[in-house]
Amino acid sequence: MTELKQFRLPDVGEGLTEAEIVTWHVKPGDQVEDGQVIVDIEAAKGVVELPSPWDGVVTRLLAEEGQTVDVGAPIIEVAAAPGSAQNKTDFAEREVVPVPAPGDESAAGEPQSDQPQSDQPQSDQPPRVAVLVGYGVKASATTRRARKLTAGRPETAEVPTPGAATGRALAKPPVRKLAKDLGISLAELTGSGPDGSITRDDVHRAASDTTARSAEIVAGNGSGAATSAAAPSRGGEARIPIRGVRKHMAAAMVASAFTAPHVTEFLQVDVTETMAALRRVRDLPEFAGLRVSPLLFVARALIVAVGRHPLINSSWDQAAQEIVVKGYVNLGIAVASDRGLLVPNVKNAGLLGMPELARGLQDLAETARAGKATPADLSGGTITITNVGVFGVDSGTPILTPGEAAILAFGQVRDVPWVVDGQLAVRAACTLSLSFDHRIVDGELGSAVLRDVGAMLADPVRMLAWS
Amino acid sequence: MTTLTVSKALNEGLRKALEDDPKVLIMGEDVGKLGGVFRVTDGLQKDFGEARLIDTPLAESGIIGTAIGLALRGYRPVCEIQFDGFVFPAVDQIVSQLAKMRYRSLGKLSLPVVIRIPCGGGIGAVEHHSESPEIIFAHTAGLRVVACADAADAFTMIQQAIRSDDPVVFFEPKRRYWDKGEVDTAADLADALPMDRARVVLEGTDVTLLTYGPLVRTSLEAALAARDDGPGNGHSIEVVDLRSLSPVDEETIFASVRRTGRCVVAHEAPVYAGLGAEIAARVTERCFYHLEAPVLRVGGFATPYPPSRLEDHYLPDLDRILDAVDRTFGY
Repeated sequence: MTELKQFRLPDVGEGLTEAEIVTWHVKPGDQVEDGQVIVDIEAAKGVVELPSPWDGVVTRLLAEEGQTVDVGAPIIEVAAAPGSAQNKTDFAEREVVPVPAPGDESAAGEPQSDQPQSDQPQSDQPPRVAVLVGYGVKASATTRRARKLTAGRPETAEVPTPGAATGRALAKPPVRKLAKDLGISLAELTGSGPDGSITRDDVHRAASDTTARSAEIVAGNGSGAATSAAAPSRGGEARIPIRGVRKHMAAAMVASAFTAPHVTEFLQVDVTETMAALRRVRDLPEFAGLRVSPLLFVARALIVAVGRHPLINSSWDQAAQEIVVKGYVNLGIAVASDRGLLVPNVKNAGLLGMPELARGLQDLAETARAGKATPADLSGGTITITNVGVFGVDSGTPILTPGEAAILAFGQVRDVPWVVDGQLAVRAACTLSLSFDHRIVDGELGSAVLRDVGAMLADPVRMLAWS
Repeated sequence: MTTLTVSKALNEGLRKALEDDPKVLIMGEDVGKLGGVFRVTDGLQKDFGEARLIDTPLAESGIIGTAIGLALRGYRPVCEIQFDGFVFPAVDQIVSQLAKMRYRSLGKLSLPVVIRIPCGGGIGAVEHHSESPEIIFAHTAGLRVVACADAADAFTMIQQAIRSDDPVVFFEPKRRYWDKGEVDTAADLADALPMDRARVVLEGTDVTLLTYGPLVRTSLEAALAARDDGPGNGHSIEVVDLRSLSPVDEETIFASVRRTGRCVVAHEAPVYAGLGAEIAARVTERCFYHLEAPVLRVGGFATPYPPSRLEDHYLPDLDRILDAVDRTFGY
């Protein structure tokens, strides 16, 4: 009985993983003896002769001359005589390659007949690459271990969009932390620190601006802007930092004034009837506890006028090259607050009855003056009223709230000499002024709106007629 | 181009240096007749003779002391310290003499000595055979300290080190000796990247991973794993092989960190007072406004190198590197 055996390329103890077949000394059909040189292989040290471990007949050569073969790969098949050199095929299952002392060249040089025949790992350990000293090099993992993605896992920080010359916003790490905590994107800020880096102050400033900006705060005629200004010392100067609401008011005003061509028209109105109606409304139980002011009637009149002339309640969409006409009225009211001029608006004011409108106006003013106006309160307005009368003046040329087409200024109501039916009479009168975006609103439309509001205040019954 | 192992590439580089300059000598334990325990000097004694491939006694201090004398007389000795852990007897000669001669002589004397040291662990070896002592030499003014990581650099950097008039401590990543790479043995050495420059071995945008020696391959594997690390979690890691540990190539390091905004340094040597500490300090000083996160370090623990059965727990691996990368995204 013969037994087909495959001879695997041994590790010749040089820490190698492969060798080149140089010369075969046998061919299929040759008789070989245990210990007979059958092949020359070239490893790093040089050419090494490999002996056959068995007596038998060569049946196949499994590698060609010139071929590079991995250690452990079969290179020749021999029909071995039974029992031939059995102990030599019984390669010890060794975990380690020989560890030669430095200078022990015999261990390094000679082919080892007791090398592992198999290239299978000895255990569940990953395979190792044999080396001269040590157990060998282990194959390292090339993928990550499984791990829990817990809530505590760090999240990817927001990456600032390119700003500075280096392509990144410059900021000290603590400033970045601050900005992140406050929800400020550094890429949108202009740094005032060294090399244009963003400082702690820049971030704080941006944070205080954010509410106002997101609200698209605006102003009427700007008369409310001067609040709590530091008084200059006698004969000196005071420098007031431009920041916060004031900074954004300024930006909004500049943007509006130099974007929308403004036209302002004026109308003096006899509001005696309105003042009388006001007193009667004030006594109605529906209005108990509510502040009923001329502003309520002006607001109502403007809402009614919008219903008659929808184009006045619109905005200019430069990007889309469209005029956006709004089917709802979010009525903005300019309010002087400690933070500066704010323009909160009453949502869907056109759908409110008079008592609700009165309550809306009242809440709005109180909230804004208390500094509690939310971004929602401050954004989304469609048309604005600025009550300059409360400052004791007659009129003004209000600047449009950005994104709106018209703003109505309402001057103080005072008794004036007035011609009624050819007779001089003392009447309560006030001046209305309407600024409008002349890209959208022409003189005819603007005049019609102003005239209608005036007519309704002169004769409040028209509000009923036109509603 | 030829495919060579790191070990063979060093061998070819040494051969070229021996051919190019008759003053080049190689000396060390078993470098001649045996050809070195890692086969790095294999066959060189046969071709260049016992006068240029000198088997020395087991006396590292004597090897370096002799090399200093030879260098003073115009030779360019290349000394092999057989294992990292064997270098300590030679430290006196290296620190007290080799590093100081240029300064001591007011610049009149140069000692063009190269000290090759197989370094690092991961081969399952016994005590003293797996250490990473590079910081001792990086900390010593007057020495150049470099580390090759692949076959191509092994071939060119060993020649550059030998041509350097400064003493060079040349670290070879022991467990990478059998890693193969393409080497252009015919290329002009003058065209090669100077050995004191770092190399961006993998470009990335999110974080700079600085490393050298044996962990370059680990870091590349980590970067590739991170790229595929699940939706939303993938990070683009830029891997920089420092190559020169003293001096470090600040220009390349800073440019990369300023681009990515994050930095991790990985080495096998203990983290404490290691090269990562020096780099972290420099990056913090010079890239402060660009940093999204502190510079994090990955490295060995503050223990002696452990028995080989435990070395997998000691050596920074792909997971430890990527864990640090993840941490930099937590700021």
